[in-house]
Amino acid sequence: MEKLMNNGGSNGAKRWLLLGLVLVAVVSAFSGMINRYYLGVLVEAGVNVTLAVSLNLINGYTGQFSLGHGGFMAVGAYLAAKLTLLFGPALPPALQPVLFAGALLCGGMGAALAGLLVGVPSLRLRGDYLAVVTLAFGEIIRVVFQNSPAFGAATGLSGIAPWTNFFWSWSVALVTVYVVLALVHSTYGRGFLAVNDDEIAASAMGINPVRYKVTAFVVGAFFAGVAGGLFAHLKRAINPEGFNFMRSIDVVVMVILGGMGNTAGVVVAAVLLTLLPELLRGFSEYRMIVYSLLIITLMLLRPQGLFGRSSKGGRL
Amino acid sequence: MSAAAQNSGGGTVLELERVTIRFGGLTAVSEVDLAVGEGELVGLIGPNGAGKTTVFNLVTGVYQPTEGRISFDRKPHGRLRPHDLTRRGIARTFQNIRLFGSMSVFDNVRVAMQLHRRFGFGEALWRGRLAAKAEGDVAGRVMELLEIFNLGRVRDELATSLPYGDQRRLEIVRALATRPRLLLLDEPAAGMNPTEKAALAQLIVEVQQRFGISVLLVEHDMRLVMSVCQRIAVLEYGRKIAEGTPQQIQKNPQVIAAYLGKEASDA
Ligand SMILES: Nc1ncnc2c1ncn2[C@@H]1O[C@H](COP(=O)(O)OP(=O)(O)OP(=O)(O)O)[C@@H](O)[C@H]1O
Ligand SMILES: [Mg+2]
Repeated sequence: MEKLMNNGGSNGAKRWLLLGLVLVAVVSAFSGMINRYYLGVLVEAGVNVTLAVSLNLINGYTGQFSLGHGGFMAVGAYLAAKLTLLFGPALPPALQPVLFAGALLCGGMGAALAGLLVGVPSLRLRGDYLAVVTLAFGEIIRVVFQNSPAFGAATGLSGIAPWTNFFWSWSVALVTVYVVLALVHSTYGRGFLAVNDDEIAASAMGINPVRYKVTAFVVGAFFAGVAGGLFAHLKRAINPEGFNFMRSIDVVVMVILGGMGNTAGVVVAAVLLTLLPELLRGFSEYRMIVYSLLIITLMLLRPQGLFGRSSKGGRL
Repeated sequence: MSAAAQNSGGGTVLELERVTIRFGGLTAVSEVDLAVGEGELVGLIGPNGAGKTTVFNLVTGVYQPTEGRISFDRKPHGRLRPHDLTRRGIARTFQNIRLFGSMSVFDNVRVAMQLHRRFGFGEALWRGRLAAKAEGDVAGRVMELLEIFNLGRVRDELATSLPYGDQRRLEIVRALATRPRLLLLDEPAAGMNPTEKAALAQLIVEVQQRFGISVLLVEHDMRLVMSVCQRIAVLEYGRKIAEGTPQQIQKNPQVIAAYLGKEASDA
């Protein structure tokens, strides 16, 4: 993947993206053969890949500590769901995918706007302080939805169309991976890593650290918003509690487990952490304990994440 | 008027007028006047803690002067931030090497070229033919610069894995990649052996001529400073105590007492 995304022969990467999308389309054509339950888990894995890979741009590559992904996701979920609930029923079935795509996009843009608003404090704040601010932001978003009758208040929205399938979920995941990799491997995007490595040296090279940090927030939030829209149309019902800070923590764990600034690792971690709780169903009430113990063990054995940062400066 | 204007044919590139900066009670730089002319190679020397690096931090916008004025190309710095000043044409290296540790030698230089790209974000995503060409051009220029410094062979190594001397030279390459008109070198020879130092001296002069830039050099190695600089300013306790040609500085009793004498007895 490293070679692909590098400078020079850049059309290769776009071709791989197309190939991936075709593959996703083919698999989804045969998805009827997969057990409904497992299919649901796979679709959810795609949503989580989108969440984790986009957070990795903020936390991994740019080196900020955001706990705001749950909040961005909520914005996208509520906006997209509201739009399809409003306009879906009157629409001929042929136009439903168009509405869905439009709703996801709007959700993403709403979240990106929120990302811009939270990105601005990152002008001043670092590390733990930024984490606290983004966390607070996520909670504010949640409380706002909780108190908006238009968005169902505490009960949330239900009866959302079940439009998120394997194709949608994994196409979005692929596009997210492409965007993040294309960005960070370009001359422009090496600036994200430069800001992470050494802000003073970066600004001495003409890189505006604030610009890059805010850009990371906006792009990351956009995809979190799209993932939120997918999530809403997968679960068919959303409520404010579903986007509390535990949701953000889950995504942070995926990024840390996969290896900060290592997209391939983060993809694998996102899939693993989606499957793991399902595989552990046999343990019934001890499930979450086993899950937590597994994560602790993994972090002790591989503190740099499953895959760590790849060497020779070509972090995936 | 200023020494720079007299010494070189062109105009003044950098000018400090009675620049002072205080950190709490400590006056790190005190009423310093300094000018660097177009194409000039100026040395800035002085004992440890004299304020040399602080002058660099003022010129690059890391610090704002408490009093006085700095201008580049006759335009005052005002409150411009470091990345704005780099864009204007001031580049620097760091005394305590600050390479990008997660990146290869190649990428360290490449990232310093992004400031002259207009459509960075869009190009990165779309990767059309124009973007591919632009990235190709950048790669070509990176390699060109690396080859001048004989670093082409290690292009894929992690920058921080290089030997010390190579890291210092890589910092110069990275600074040059921003296409500066004024290059500030903060102790570029620190940690180098005599052979490396001699090569570096030659390289500094070569770079200065080849790229037609001005250089302000902070360095403790007197042989290097005396051999490459046209003019030298001496700082002590934040004040400029002398300025002149290498010959004048070597004979200046005040400088010998404050700095050179001590060097000589150290050796
Ligand atoms: N940010 C700062 N806050 C407080 N004091 C500072 C700061 N930066 C520099 N100083 C002080 O200013 C003085 C000048 O430091 P500076 O680093 O400029 O010296 P220098 O001439 O570069 O010395 P050296 O040869 O050791 O590199 C020192 O006393 C230093 O401790
Ligand atoms: Mg210094």
